[in-house]
Amino acid sequence: MITVEHLTKRYGTTLAVHDLNFSVEAGEILGFLGPNGAGKTTTMRMLTGYMPPTEGTAIIAGYDVLTDSLAVRQRIGYLPETPPLYRDMTVQGYLHFVARIKGVSAGDRPRRVDWAIERCGLVEHRNVLIRKLSKGFRQRVGIAQAIVHDPPVIILDEPTVGLDPKQIIEVRHLIKSLAGDHTIILSTHILPEVSMTCNRVVIIQKGRVVATDTIDGLLNRTDNRTQYELKLAGNLEPLQQALGRFPGVQAVDIQSEGDNHKVTVTTGGKTDVGPELTALVVQAGLKLYEMNRRRATLEDVFLQLTTQEEGTEAASETPAANAVVKSP
Amino acid sequence: MRVAWANFVAIYRKELQGYFATSLNYVIAAVYWFMAGVFYIILFNVVQTNVAAQDMQGQAGLSAPPVDVPAVILENYLGMLASLSLFILPLLSMNVFAQERQQGTLELLATSPITTTMVTVGKLAGVLTFFVTLLLPVMFYESLTLLQAEPPFSLGLILLGHGALVLLAAAILSLGLFVSATTESTLLAAVGTFALILLLWILQAVADRVSGVPAAIFRHLSLLQNYTNLIQGSVSTASLVLFASYVILGVFLTVQWVDGLRFQRS
Repeated sequence: MITVEHLTKRYGTTLAVHDLNFSVEAGEILGFLGPNGAGKTTTMRMLTGYMPPTEGTAIIAGYDVLTDSLAVRQRIGYLPETPPLYRDMTVQGYLHFVARIKGVSAGDRPRRVDWAIERCGLVEHRNVLIRKLSKGFRQRVGIAQAIVHDPPVIILDEPTVGLDPKQIIEVRHLIKSLAGDHTIILSTHILPEVSMTCNRVVIIQKGRVVATDTIDGLLNRTDNRTQYELKLAGNLEPLQQALGRFPGVQAVDIQSEGDNHKVTVTTGGKTDVGPELTALVVQAGLKLYEMNRRRATLEDVFLQLTTQEEGTEAASETPAANAVVKSP
Repeated sequence: MRVAWANFVAIYRKELQGYFATSLNYVIAAVYWFMAGVFYIILFNVVQTNVAAQDMQGQAGLSAPPVDVPAVILENYLGMLASLSLFILPLLSMNVFAQERQQGTLELLATSPITTTMVTVGKLAGVLTFFVTLLLPVMFYESLTLLQAEPPFSLGLILLGHGALVLLAAAILSLGLFVSATTESTLLAAVGTFALILLLWILQAVADRVSGVPAAIFRHLSLLQNYTNLIQGSVSTASLVLFASYVILGVFLTVQWVDGLRFQRS
């Protein structure tokens, strides 16, 4: 449905996006992930035909963004970072206007507008002036605006920024429910959002793609290390000795404060030492207050991928690279 | 073509709705009507006094040329209305693009299947329509008084005069649209537009101070000179073409500028 080929954008001498290549299948939700300033918004703007690429192109629903810009724009729903709302219009009036300029025929308009209003949970607010709406509802109007003409492709630039947790969950449900009939690209820097909504992820960093994969695929990229974090009280020595003899244990880190200890045990490969560890703690007569298992998360992968470039220069001294191993 | 027309109507309607939903525009209308009314009364009294004076001279046996009172009133009044409009028009055009830029809605228009030319033309038509609505009550009381004249004054002349005013407004608003597109600040847009049209307005004064070809050029480009030509009843093609050129120039520059915004990093 969407094919991006060698997409490049230069602002003067700065390279904002460099040689981007990826494709999105119909009905898929693609997460477009990257730290702030990685080139997400620039890429989205090029896909929507707002901004012409310096090199390369993108094919959307069979049309080239460069040569068939108007055809592409008709088939795209786009929610920019700040929802493009006319503050002095009512929700309904605004959606009617958008439907009109998106080329929805006069006969279809009321039906489409009603559908978008219902879908985004704006029924009770349809006659309210947009400037009187709260941030969360404005965001919904923004999404309604992107879907009112029933486009095959929907592009959402950070749709949950600035919303409260309840609204975030609602918006994510809304996005998920739109998939299938629509192909969606969702840009974000919020990782749980990606794992909850997206099928596939493109991670970009400094304008370059550093990974394109499914979420499971990304998680498997890490070395599968598992960490156990224990909070204990008592005499640690028997436990330390026992751990030293244990197969698969890569590292043991102990932080002590008087009689209280925080022990972090890292194992590599597929070894899971959880059950054995508890048995050891009991044998050693220690008091166990807390025990956490921590597996590699998308966050680790993300940090690993997006800090790799600096990582080669500054070794593992950067806090972000350290976080992959140490952060709780 | 049908699509372009539908887009034009969409933008035009939205703009008009916007004008009537903005409280500032009601204030502008109130001020405009008040000032126009005051000017009219003053002008009427001045002309009446002059005519009375001439009458006395006539009775005293001095021959004075006959005065076409309604024509004098209309001509002078249209000049006043134009000066008044100089202050009002930048306030009408300042928001047109600056606000779209400020609230990010330009991105919506730019990612919709609609050309920038249609957006610009639709907006110009919208703001011009609002200005014409401002003129309607003014024209009504003018007609009420002037048509009472004996011998009867023609309604056609009134319409023609105001047609010239609308043409002048179209030229100014079109340039105002361009200034509005260059900034996100509505205040800057208003001040910039005012400065620009003031410059074009007084070009004639500059022309009077210089001679030769520059003088001819300045005189030709002057808004005031061409407007005066039209309201004095000499409908010259050159003047019409000049106003049309200003309108087209404004639209052209606006479209170029707005399209150029796409290349900017924001």
